[in-house]
Amino acid sequence: MEIHIRGLKKYYYSEGRTIKALDDVNLTIPANKIFTLLGPSGCGKTTLLRSIVGLETPDEGEIKIGDTVVWSSEKNIYVPTEKRGLGMVFQTYAIWPHMNVFNNVAYPLQNQGMPKAEIEERVRETLRFVQLEGFEKRPATKLSGGQQQRVALARALVAQPKVILFDEPLSNLDAKLREETRKELRSFLTELEITAVYVTHDRIEALALSDTIGVMRSGKIVEIGAPKKIYFNAEHQFVADFIGRSNLIPAKVKQQKDSFTVVQTSLGEFVCKERDYPLDSDLTLCIRPEFIDLAEEGALDQKNTLSGVMETMVFVGDVYESEIRVGDVLFMAKVDPETTLEVGDPVTFSVKPEHCLLVSE
Amino acid sequence: MKKTIRVIGIVTSFLIMGSMLFAAGAQEKAPQKESKVMEEKVALYASITAIEPILAAFQKDTGILAENTRLSTSNFATTVLTEFQAGKLAADVVQAPLPVMEILKQYGVIKDYFSPAAQSYAEWTRNNGGIYQFGIEYVALIYNTELVKAADVPKRYEDLTLPKWKNKIVMANPGNHATTISWLVGLKENNVFGSDAKWMEFLTGLAANNPMFVASFGPTPAPIESGEKLIGISMPKYIITKAPAPLAWAQVEQPLLGSPRAIGITASAPHPNAAEAFMEYWLSDKAMSLLANDVGEYVLTPGVFPPIDGIDKAKVIPIRDLSDEELLKWGAEFEKIFKL
Amino acid sequence: MVKNRQSKLTYLLIVILALLTLSPVVMLVIGSFSKGLNTFGDFTLAKYISVYTDPSFYAVLGNTLIFVLFSALFSTILALFLAYLNNRTNIPGKFMFKVISVVPMMIPHVLFAVSWALLLNPSNGILNLLLMNIFRLENAPFNIYSIRGMIMVEGLLDLPIAYLIIAPAMASFDISLEESSRVFGAGNMKTLFRITLPVLRPAILAAFILCVVRCLASFAVPSVLGMPGRTYVLATYIYRTVTTGFIADYGKAAAVGMSILILSISLIYVYRYMTRSSEKYVTVSSRGFKPVVIELKKARIPLFVILLIFSFILIMLPILVLLYTSFVPYSMVPSVKAFTSMNLDHWKNVLNDPVSLSSLKNSLFLCIVGASLGTLLSIFISYVIVKVKNKASGILESLSFLSFSFPGIVIGIGFMWFFVRTPLYATIWALLIGYIATYLPYGIRPMTSAFIQIHSHLEESSTVCGASFLTTIRRIVIPLLIPGIVSGWILMATMFFRELSLSVVLSRPGTETMAVQILKFSNDGLWGRLSALGIIMIGISVLLVITANLVGNHFKPETN
Repeated sequence: MEIHIRGLKKYYYSEGRTIKALDDVNLTIPANKIFTLLGPSGCGKTTLLRSIVGLETPDEGEIKIGDTVVWSSEKNIYVPTEKRGLGMVFQTYAIWPHMNVFNNVAYPLQNQGMPKAEIEERVRETLRFVQLEGFEKRPATKLSGGQQQRVALARALVAQPKVILFDEPLSNLDAKLREETRKELRSFLTELEITAVYVTHDRIEALALSDTIGVMRSGKIVEIGAPKKIYFNAEHQFVADFIGRSNLIPAKVKQQKDSFTVVQTSLGEFVCKERDYPLDSDLTLCIRPEFIDLAEEGALDQKNTLSGVMETMVFVGDVYESEIRVGDVLFMAKVDPETTLEVGDPVTFSVKPEHCLLVSE
Repeated sequence: MKKTIRVIGIVTSFLIMGSMLFAAGAQEKAPQKESKVMEEKVALYASITAIEPILAAFQKDTGILAENTRLSTSNFATTVLTEFQAGKLAADVVQAPLPVMEILKQYGVIKDYFSPAAQSYAEWTRNNGGIYQFGIEYVALIYNTELVKAADVPKRYEDLTLPKWKNKIVMANPGNHATTISWLVGLKENNVFGSDAKWMEFLTGLAANNPMFVASFGPTPAPIESGEKLIGISMPKYIITKAPAPLAWAQVEQPLLGSPRAIGITASAPHPNAAEAFMEYWLSDKAMSLLANDVGEYVLTPGVFPPIDGIDKAKVIPIRDLSDEELLKWGAEFEKIFKL
Repeated sequence: MVKNRQSKLTYLLIVILALLTLSPVVMLVIGSFSKGLNTFGDFTLAKYISVYTDPSFYAVLGNTLIFVLFSALFSTILALFLAYLNNRTNIPGKFMFKVISVVPMMIPHVLFAVSWALLLNPSNGILNLLLMNIFRLENAPFNIYSIRGMIMVEGLLDLPIAYLIIAPAMASFDISLEESSRVFGAGNMKTLFRITLPVLRPAILAAFILCVVRCLASFAVPSVLGMPGRTYVLATYIYRTVTTGFIADYGKAAAVGMSILILSISLIYVYRYMTRSSEKYVTVSSRGFKPVVIELKKARIPLFVILLIFSFILIMLPILVLLYTSFVPYSMVPSVKAFTSMNLDHWKNVLNDPVSLSSLKNSLFLCIVGASLGTLLSIFISYVIVKVKNKASGILESLSFLSFSFPGIVIGIGFMWFFVRTPLYATIWALLIGYIATYLPYGIRPMTSAFIQIHSHLEESSTVCGASFLTTIRRIVIPLLIPGIVSGWILMATMFFRELSLSVVLSRPGTETMAVQILKFSNDGLWGRLSALGIIMIGISVLLVITANLVGNHFKPETN
């Protein structure tokens, strides 16, 4: 089911200031895909999620799930949360401590008034699906973090909703478990015909999990796209910077040539991936550390070649995370761990034009 | 949420409806006025306590159920007047100290009623148009018979000022306890000590002995029984009601004083016929004997005395009713004397 | 629109609560400005002028402040100490805490005060005589008829209120806050004073304020212990106002009561102001956890002994005195004679008294039905106070304290003036409604503490799972609230069971309550029957409390 959001606004007033949690959000969440709302804390992503599920009421706008308008300020429509038929996994899991696993999972079905036998069948099935077979009688308080997370997922899935929402569900797990669960979650969700809306501030989680990512900032959706598009082809400096580490250099458009865009920076001219901006536009050149190609001195004939001095090198296993000084600018670069370079050595490097991304403010 | 509101609404209306039915039921039972038929019950508001034996005897003899609401003196007028003015006075008969009854009379609560049974009483008990005095809330010096030697028992009220009673006396608070104030003033007005100066000497001497004050007469006997105090200004009826406690009254040469207790029928009595039957019964020798024998009350029926040694020979005088202004004035005066 | 329905609930509750609590107070305000004895006379300021120009009034006010503040302080500190020992240390005999925390509520206050007078009066108080014999003293070492005596007894009586508010907060305290303090180099004591107590501030303040408000309205202790020593506080001053003279001027009493009311309301506002931000940082997770227990080591046994002595004084002593009084024919100091003359006369008398028996039935009805309805109302009100948190919910909280903070003798008259205008007058429902209105804070306080502990996600996830608001309340909120509900119910039920001030004004033949019966015995100085009935009352209260706990446990089987 698609979710359509039109002109959604939600303002908070606190100590005389207005905080725009949702600032005219327009968005279509594609059906049966995993859609992630990514952004720093306070960007409004949770407010948006809670508005979709109905736990929060926006000030203005419209929310449509499938063909049903669930909220509209204009038409004065409000479908209560419990009538929206959604599933949700909370950040705290919100596993009811006074119930056992079975009752926690059976709860949504009991609310539908499903016959007992059928409930049992469905709960067992769902628990098997999240690999918690045999946990039915376990009190909720006797579960580990990962198990609680699965119970929460089972509870969200058991009624076979068309839409499931996730509010940072992995943030309470440790790193290793988080990675495993992420993978599992993706395979669970792709197996089902379900629209998933996922809120996170973790860019790796977003990249690994999503079909589509919507990046939010200050109550606005800044950019929407597939993970690769967001990562390699962001249009905004904020998105490019948020989704991965990048070297950012102010740049001015000089000319469009051979399906490249040439810009002027303080380090000279750069030939970049084509972007349709008028001449003299002030943009930012964005180069990811992994796209900096080191070469022996003089061996590079290409464009976008720079020379500098190795300033720091930190060994992190698969690479050296290093910084190269070129004039006033420090370039972050990922260097082959088997390199013979040392701190203080002169370095020449180049960046392929297709890796020079021009982004706007 | 609408459901919640509905539930709260249902609960509330259930409550209100339930109580209305309850109230309506109570009203239905009330028989019509002016009917000559004897009602099945009579409602009494009384300040006197421990009268259950009389109510039981009344029911046994007449078949009419008597229901008593006990109201303390301090609540009496307020409660009766509030109900009366709201048209909800349930009482057929009210019994209270004479001053309270007279206030009620002023507000039109008491019905003018001629009682045949009261005609055998002394004339001064029935000149109040519907209010009949039947007893005296008499006050005396009560002491612990085990701890006070016969020779030490006071022979006059003045003996209480002797230094041997220092820190040994209990009494109700003379700053605010109406009956105690009236009693102290009564000692003066009946010239019990011979002169006002002697009366004042008694007061200052009593104050110098540092008596312990309690809220009313009710708590006075306990400290005497237990020996915490040896003697107190209290009521002889406790000798009966608290038997076998070692209590006796000091048979002083001077008279005993007390405020009159009175009874009357209300103007709005829901059960007027039963009310009259109750009045006549109450004022009869039989009922008054019960009151004297079981409760130790001093009654005004000629020849009936509580079974307390020496009471039949004592002179018991009703004291003048003090107005509330006088009570406040004297209360303040006593507060000064007793350094409250 | 979520807001909308929440505010609908809020306004509905405000209307209900205003009806319940405002009506008697409005009656009293009118009465205090009216000439004559009832409400609705000609307007006059005379009652206020006569009260507030009386110089002795201000001396009384001074006494009241000392009495109230120190009693409340005493209760709160004791409650903190006990709650800490129970929840956070390995002290033995923990079952005793449950007992200590409830039993004093079941003992009628008059009886409790009287038994202390029996123990510590300066003439022949049992403990005083004992100490004089042991230490060969000339004079009695203690005089219970003093402001210090009053403070001690009132403090003990109000201890359960403070304990029942502080203990749950102490139990659900997030241990990591303390652990981190310890990591950063603070010792046990320092952690207690720098972290534990400040974080518990809302609960501690709530307990203190509730105790203050209760002491302000307390009558039994000042009358039994204050009057003999000639120490007056506002409540006894009011009593003096209404009892001097045959025609009680309750309007004037209400004028005095106004200052108690204003004092109480301002205290509640101070409390709200002081806790406005701190309630936010009460952090309790949705996962069950057991707080780490502090090893008492060498202090374990001495503290246990202190606790033992304390429970003996607090519970055993008054009950023993009651038992003793119910068997001896009249008030006597324990002696061979006293023990040989013991008999069952008082018991027979009480058990054969039809009014006493019907009063027992009425009291049971009022306490079970009343406490249940009161708890139900408290659940909704606490929900709004904690979860909605708007201006209106502040009004709601203040309203709930209104009639509670008026002294009993006066509020009783206020209710009478109100109910006489309704068909409820002279029915048991008037008592029921009056009880709920007056004692609502006892239900609301434990419930709000419990609500604060429920993470909002637990409810939200239920809504998302398709549960209606009522289903969420029934299946999620109430089961999680069970501890709060049980303690709120117990508090209300025990209060209702021995409620006096309203009952004495509103009860009529057929609706007598036990406390009214007790008062009747006390008016007649019949301590023996009083004690027998008192023990029956305590016995039944104990049964009620045990039942309530069992029922409570039944509803949360999965966690245990």
